[in-house]
Amino acid sequence: MTLQEELREAVVEGQAKVAVAKVAQGLVEGVPAGTLLREGLIAAMAKVGGLYEQGEIYVPEMLVAARAMTEALAVLKPELVSEGVPTAGTVAIGTVKGDLHDIGKNLVAMMLEGAGYQIVDLGVDVRAEQFIQAIRDGADVAAMSALLTTTMLNMQENIAAITEAGLRDKARIIVGGAPITAEYAEAIGADGFAADASSAVRMVQQLLAT
Amino acid sequence: MSGPGTQQSTMASRERVELALAHTEPDRVPLDLGGSAVTGMHVDSVYRLRQALGLDAPGTPVKVVEPYQMLGEIAPDLLDALGVDVVGVGLPTNFFGFENEDWKPWTTFDGTPVLVPGAFKTEPDANGDILMYPEGDTSVPPSARMPNGGLYFDAIVRQDPLDEERLDVEDNLEEFTPISPAALAHVTREVERAAASGRAVLANVGDTAFGDIAFVPGMKLKHPRGIRDIQEWYMSLNLRPGYVNEVFERQCEIGLRNLEAVYDAVGDAITVIFVTGTDFGTQQGPFISPKLYRDLFKPFHVRVNDWIHTNTRWKSFIHSCGSIWRLLDDMVDAGFDVLNPVQTSAADMDPVALKATYGDRVTFWGGGVDTQRVLPFGTPDEVRAMVKERMRIFGSGGGFVFNTIHNLQARIPVENILALYDAVNEYRSYPLD
Repeated sequence: MTLQEELREAVVEGQAKVAVAKVAQGLVEGVPAGTLLREGLIAAMAKVGGLYEQGEIYVPEMLVAARAMTEALAVLKPELVSEGVPTAGTVAIGTVKGDLHDIGKNLVAMMLEGAGYQIVDLGVDVRAEQFIQAIRDGADVAAMSALLTTTMLNMQENIAAITEAGLRDKARIIVGGAPITAEYAEAIGADGFAADASSAVRMVQQLLAT
Repeated sequence: MSGPGTQQSTMASRERVELALAHTEPDRVPLDLGGSAVTGMHVDSVYRLRQALGLDAPGTPVKVVEPYQMLGEIAPDLLDALGVDVVGVGLPTNFFGFENEDWKPWTTFDGTPVLVPGAFKTEPDANGDILMYPEGDTSVPPSARMPNGGLYFDAIVRQDPLDEERLDVEDNLEEFTPISPAALAHVTREVERAAASGRAVLANVGDTAFGDIAFVPGMKLKHPRGIRDIQEWYMSLNLRPGYVNEVFERQCEIGLRNLEAVYDAVGDAITVIFVTGTDFGTQQGPFISPKLYRDLFKPFHVRVNDWIHTNTRWKSFIHSCGSIWRLLDDMVDAGFDVLNPVQTSAADMDPVALKATYGDRVTFWGGGVDTQRVLPFGTPDEVRAMVKERMRIFGSGGGFVFNTIHNLQARIPVENILALYDAVNEYRSYPLD
């Protein structure tokens, strides 16, 4: 097994310490940080997403794998910066105003980070102005989450505020959360909707490829 | 509204529920509203419904009987007006560990006049948020927050750094305690009062919900120890199954002793016992694998249900939101008699398939109308049509207690709430359409 394969396996299995050790070993052996990212971490999280969609793994296993990825990525990040490895794009993500639920939002953020995106996590109870500022700061995608039927309506207000600020064409807007549907996303003028964290990655990849 | 509940009924409420639970058709499909913290109504909606029904003068406040989700009191006059067949009984303290007493007025962010318990701190913080304190004790950090403009509370996670070497199951058991003599006296009084109303009694008194994420953060504890972070808890199911199993083992022993104490005090005056509200489903599928359910949760569900069925005439009630179709073979096999809230808006939760596959073994207590789209955003006609359809699908042969899918939330058009109970009244009589 190559080192990259061992790194992939460690992440998929959620073995954080092994994943961190494999990244450190790779760097010592002169494997480019970009290679460890693409062939190790990103490939591993793509596999995790696939296993989740196939019902082979569930939320606990996905969280454990994502944590292994996050810890390994922390070791890798300084090297990625010094090598000048570009990110796949920047995603500003948050749970909308009035809503404090973040399990789903965090899963989406972790899977996107595992796909090579830079994440700006705005947290929960996020106001429209915070999404606007994140877009001004260069976010390519604004991702909004809501669990409640009483807060999902704030997504529409956020999109209106972003449009009002003259920034609607500066970023793609995606929405998700338990009560959100593709029809609702379209009705409020979002660019995309995903039903789970794994398909959210595909959605962002498609949106930024066009 | 044409007067739900005004129609002559020939059968007592309790008998109606018991027949439905025995998979026999009563005179009408039984109705629950307010029997538990997952079958109730947000106080804003209760206020507007009471106003629309002419039960109160404008401005009359409604009591918040469950402050975490801000559920309003379903008082006897409203039970009568709607023809509700179930009354709930719980422990004397709420999710935050204080009693619902010393009522004081407050106005919700949506402008609804309400009454809240004295220990409910109504002064907002610098952000305008409302903070809740364990046992109402403001000398310790808050345990829950309602954001400025919000409608509900959510737990504030207070997680000490985890030291793997020093993890102690006792730390995750602090909230599970033998029922106190005072609490038992309260439960006894409340069960007797509820039973005297002639309605079925739904009791939530045992602390037998294993791994309920609503309780993991320990909102009623002043200094929660152990694993209290929600994501850490979910990961622990995978990383520390031995630890979790030991927590459940000890909790099960305490819970069974509590159920025994309650049974000794009130016997079969309880109709249905709320065993667990742990959510096993997301919108798209189960949170955990069927194997993990079988390995970690099912053995304890079996033990609690076996105890109930061996020692009492109570029916056992499980609440789990979300898409749980892949877990239902095992859940039903674990011996649950009642399934709630039957979230048919989640993936793989088709009402016809649910009734056809499990209808001979479980009573569906919920699934009556979708609360994610139809009730808040649909038209009154859509609400009526769904109620009619669900009565026909779930009600056939008994085994159905009408309830919305989880609590009715705030900001539902009152016309839709009126249409809901109007349609329940119109379509609940057997033989069904």
